[in-house]
Amino acid sequence: MPSVRARRGLIASYALVVLVLVTLNFALPRALPGQPIETLSDPRSASFVGDLASRVSLEAYYGLDRPLVSQYGSYMADLATADLGSSIRYHRPVASVIGDRIGWTLLLVGTGLGIATAAGMLAGVHSGWRRGRRTDRRLLTLVVGLDNVPSFFLASILAYVFAVRLGWFPLYGARTPFAAESLHPLRQVADVAHHLVLPASVLALQFVALQYLVMRASMVGELGSDHLVLGRLKGLGERVLKYRYAARNALLPAVTVVALQLPLAVTAAIFVEAVFAYPGIGRLMFESVGDRDYPLMQGCFLVLSLTVVCANLLADLLVRRLDPRTAA
Amino acid sequence: MTSRGSGVLWLGVAIVAGFALVGVLAGVLAPYDPHAIAGPSLARPGGDHLLGTNDSGQDILSQLIWGARSSGIVALLSASLAVTVGVLIGASAGLRRGLVDVVAMRVTDVFLAVPALPLLILIVALAGPSRSTVVIVIALAAWPSIARIVRSQTLTIARRGYVDAARGFGARPLYVIRRHLLPAVAPLIAANFVYWAATAVLLQSGLAFLGLSDPTEVSWGGVLSRALEHQGVYATSQWVSGVLPPGLAITLAALGLAFIGLGLEPRSNPRLERVR
Repeated sequence: MPSVRARRGLIASYALVVLVLVTLNFALPRALPGQPIETLSDPRSASFVGDLASRVSLEAYYGLDRPLVSQYGSYMADLATADLGSSIRYHRPVASVIGDRIGWTLLLVGTGLGIATAAGMLAGVHSGWRRGRRTDRRLLTLVVGLDNVPSFFLASILAYVFAVRLGWFPLYGARTPFAAESLHPLRQVADVAHHLVLPASVLALQFVALQYLVMRASMVGELGSDHLVLGRLKGLGERVLKYRYAARNALLPAVTVVALQLPLAVTAAIFVEAVFAYPGIGRLMFESVGDRDYPLMQGCFLVLSLTVVCANLLADLLVRRLDPRTAA
Repeated sequence: MTSRGSGVLWLGVAIVAGFALVGVLAGVLAPYDPHAIAGPSLARPGGDHLLGTNDSGQDILSQLIWGARSSGIVALLSASLAVTVGVLIGASAGLRRGLVDVVAMRVTDVFLAVPALPLLILIVALAGPSRSTVVIVIALAAWPSIARIVRSQTLTIARRGYVDAARGFGARPLYVIRRHLLPAVAPLIAANFVYWAATAVLLQSGLAFLGLSDPTEVSWGGVLSRALEHQGVYATSQWVSGVLPPGLAITLAALGLAFIGLGLEPRSNPRLERVR
């Protein structure tokens, strides 16, 4: 089958991206100014190690005296066993610190993007089917408008209005501190959902409009198509025509939009988590910048970008599934 | 056809021109030195300090006025750098074809697949948050998409008869680029320039919000993050004076640039009007 080869090519090109990411993560700290152990080897630093012999042995301990190729080799070997080094602030392996946090980010991004996609698609199918003229232009303006509100500002506005002024939702965190474990499981779920509303709303607000516009446009594009006319001639019902005939074909660009928005959603998540003190990996990366916790920062970078790349690969495969023409 | 695009265009030009004026005249307009301790800590808006003061008593209005200059410089420099690199790579890939093209497009594909912000945070945090680092890093995020667009446009133009003719007369690649290619892709470049200038404003303030800005430089994102980091941001007047104004300034500046881009669109892509 030709599509198998095409899929292999696709996966190979994504593998290249992963290799570049992993290599960047290795090379950047070494290429940019500032030695990895400068705080120990720079005489101006407070933690300067004066004794030459101990400095040399420190370099040997961290493997920095070996040639780059050999350092790269052991870096890759560590990575293969999910060893991302040790966090300076938490005194724990970076992988386990990130493991504690990544679930919250997946929940946040999944909910926000999920709501945006579902709402945008439904509204798009609906208004494309009965196309009016005016809404289009106005919504485009809204998309452009929302695109240019920084996520951290939008997040802070929602926090101020709905958490501080109105008091409807909690201001920060992912669950009520201390009380969480003692609650009934169902009320724990409600507690988590209550904390999720505002941060997820920021993401949903920023991503719903584009999905709506694209869905609507491709729906309108389907309206005059031959298979729809044929279906109508056959006497098929309105619902079948709308969802099975028109929406099915219009679905394709919508999947692409999700894939396009995913990196943006990760970006937005970093800011939103920072504003709401949401304990996800974005917040972790924000804190690691403040703490100058470089191993943790690199780990967050690697995990975040690998997640996005994998999700994009999935979206690409899904598009091929939905539309066999693209696989050729 | 022109009237609809022009309204948005001129609105955008007016907004951006306003910010540019404030940025250029920052020294004259700002009532206080943005770094100086100009009054009591956490003063409410009004009176001597129109937008109040921050926790160390610096005048927030003056900081916003100087922030306009900082944002303007970063937007201008990073968009110029990105467009220059993107056009050079995209045009040479489209004109030379062959190995250059394959390699260049593979590289842009890889860069396009990487989510920008985590990479930018990592680089700026490692290299130190000076203004030039921020500019270079934003350009780094921008050039691949520009290169892609310019390349595809180049491919269609390079096939046209007059370009073949020019080559037949012995024109060098640089001459072809300057004489035939640039005029043809100029509207596209303008639209991209404006788009990336807007993105640069957002990215710079975003990095500053995360604490990745030159500590000696006043920026909108810096003012905002300082107010948000304050313990009593939601309890004192800090939200109204320190979060709202810089947030609006960032939004308005980016929006002004986006409006220009929206207004340019019918010119750079006439087909768009017909579709509607």
